[in-house]
Amino acid sequence: MPEAPLIEIRNLHATAEDTPILNGIDLVIRAGEGHAIMGPNGSGKSTLSNVLVGKPGYEVTGGEVLFRGEDLIAMEPEIRAREGVFLAFQYTVEIPGVANNYFLRTAVNAMRTHRGEKELDAIDFLTRLKEKMKLVEMPDDMMSRAINEGFSGGEKKRNEILQMMLLEPSFCILDETDSGLDIDALRVVANGVNQMRSPDRGMLLITHYQRLLDYIIPDRVHVLSRGRIVRSGGKELALELEEKGYGWIEEGDAAGAPA
Amino acid sequence: MSDETSRDTLDSLLALHASSAESPGEAAWLDDLRSEGLAAFREQGVPTRRLEAWKGTNLGPLQAMRFGRVGPGASTSAPLSFPDAVEGRPELVFVDGAYDAARSRVAGLPSGCRLLPLAEAMREIPDRLRGRLGQLTDPKHQALDALQTAFLADGAVLLIERGTVLADPIRLRFLATGAEPRDDEESASAAAAFPRLLVVADEQSRATIHLSFESVGTAPGLTACVSELHLGPAARIDLVEVQAEDPERIHYSSVHARLERDARLDSHVFTLGRGLTRSEIEVTLVEPGAETRLRGFFLGRESGHVDHYTTVDHAADHCTSDEEYRGVLDGRSEGVFRGRVIVRPDAQKTDARQSNPNLLVSRNASVDSKPQLEIYADDVRASHGSTTGQLDADALFFLRSRGVGLAEARLLLTRAFARSIVFSIENESIRERIAEQVDESLASLEGDAPDIPSDRLSRQKAREKARRKGSERTQRGDAR
Repeated sequence: MPEAPLIEIRNLHATAEDTPILNGIDLVIRAGEGHAIMGPNGSGKSTLSNVLVGKPGYEVTGGEVLFRGEDLIAMEPEIRAREGVFLAFQYTVEIPGVANNYFLRTAVNAMRTHRGEKELDAIDFLTRLKEKMKLVEMPDDMMSRAINEGFSGGEKKRNEILQMMLLEPSFCILDETDSGLDIDALRVVANGVNQMRSPDRGMLLITHYQRLLDYIIPDRVHVLSRGRIVRSGGKELALELEEKGYGWIEEGDAAGAPA
Repeated sequence: MSDETSRDTLDSLLALHASSAESPGEAAWLDDLRSEGLAAFREQGVPTRRLEAWKGTNLGPLQAMRFGRVGPGASTSAPLSFPDAVEGRPELVFVDGAYDAARSRVAGLPSGCRLLPLAEAMREIPDRLRGRLGQLTDPKHQALDALQTAFLADGAVLLIERGTVLADPIRLRFLATGAEPRDDEESASAAAAFPRLLVVADEQSRATIHLSFESVGTAPGLTACVSELHLGPAARIDLVEVQAEDPERIHYSSVHARLERDARLDSHVFTLGRGLTRSEIEVTLVEPGAETRLRGFFLGRESGHVDHYTTVDHAADHCTSDEEYRGVLDGRSEGVFRGRVIVRPDAQKTDARQSNPNLLVSRNASVDSKPQLEIYADDVRASHGSTTGQLDADALFFLRSRGVGLAEARLLLTRAFARSIVFSIENESIRERIAEQVDESLASLEGDAPDIPSDRLSRQKAREKARRKGSERTQRGDAR
């Protein structure tokens, strides 16, 4: 008998600023699995990731999302995070005046408190931080700087992965993590993500390009179009998309849709 | 006398004035100064909102006060503790306006520098004060300065000789005990303190002064402090002022500085009290090369009212002023910022910058920000900007998405907003102390303002370049 799903998305409908974007998504991800969602611009990829983490401005109008059997949509964003849902953002925010290391320790300790664990003191936290920083090849001085302030595109993405490694979520969503990265930065980021893969962790990669999937190999690939998953398959589906582009999916979707 | 001032308030002040002990043997000009102050205050009365400079602030609560004298006995009976006094550092303590020798420490000062209570200075070295004390204020047009001058009795005097550098900051603490007036007058319930600060920094001297106004009890009252800073050529003064008095107390502080050639004044004002505060600073750059950096952080809480009225007068060429005041308004508080910058006809090559970003953390808080540039020279660089908004919703969401709770995320962002002002204090020990004090004050915010995404933030932005008689002029990029 298969293991109980980590996350179960059932017939999810959502709007962004009153415009329907998601029109019935069904997706089940189990611990240990890596899924990729691909699709053309405007198909709802980012909306899906934002809805899953509870970003304001999006409204769930139908369906449900169960995270380890619990209603995820009913949870506040910080509770979702503490329960183990993590989104590596496509566009990060810069927060002047809040030092990266201070923020990270606050976040790590919020997680630990939620799990009933003891908070890390400054020394223990620093040891852990240094170890993870090495993995994403991040220079020491970036930690005392304000969150993402003056960071290059690659540094911002690495900072997202660093946060993921420190917070140790059980479900990781990576939204267009490959966008704007050169090949070296992509390798560093992919390496970080691959280190995080484990039998008790689920991954959802959202990407427009197949390139990322050369580095992070998914178990399943789904194609999103007009707010619905229109095709699912193994990793070879990504190659097919790369070859044929998205045009045929959209045409097929339009043809298959009721008039 | 103005009809606006309540008779009772004025009478109580006059009675208080009449009962002030005369100092026998004091120089006659000092008493003339007081008399002029009294006359000027009687003439003007308590300022009302009809005056341009007081449009944003209603001194009604002052009109309701009946003043009586707080005896010397009253203050010492209150248990006062000073856990954060720094060993070996000079510190003068004033309790309800009067110098407290037992709690003060005049130590660690280099030769070439004198720090003493004003009462003593007026007795012992009046000639050193003459031509300095009262020179920078204009009682005829500043009613509360006039009132303070009428009650001129105590405070601090710092005289620094040419080339003398004070390594350690000087701390001046003004404590209000909240002791009831001991007057026979039954109705008198408010206590007033009128401290005065005089700093004369001669050529190339340097000092840091940390002024703090604190309360150790709760009672209605008035603190009116006037400071005069004379900076000689290439002198540098860092002034850090912290207002954290009791909410029932009205706080008035007025700083006047005159900067000669190449002198520099760095001022930091922190207004953390919950009551009615009016904080004025007026800097006159009288000779070329003078420079001032004015920084302020104000926090409005509950029904507090915080008014900052600043004036930078560029009276000579090649001077620089750089001003930034940041406000956080919570509860039903009101913030007022008026930033006057005057560039006189001869003040060519002036560089004047001003900004006032404000954060409204509650729905019912408000802020009234008005920069006023009056530029009469044509070769200048001047800019100002004022923004008022809520916490950045995207930043708030980002922190929450990493598990940080809403309240803590708000606090983190609000502290970050204040931090740029705190961190620009040069002296490390003062900076750390104030960082703690500001963090602590911000921890009590209630904040119910909606979060607005940064791209939709309603913003009032004002950018003004060199402006003359209301007409826009193009900015001179190569002014410096």
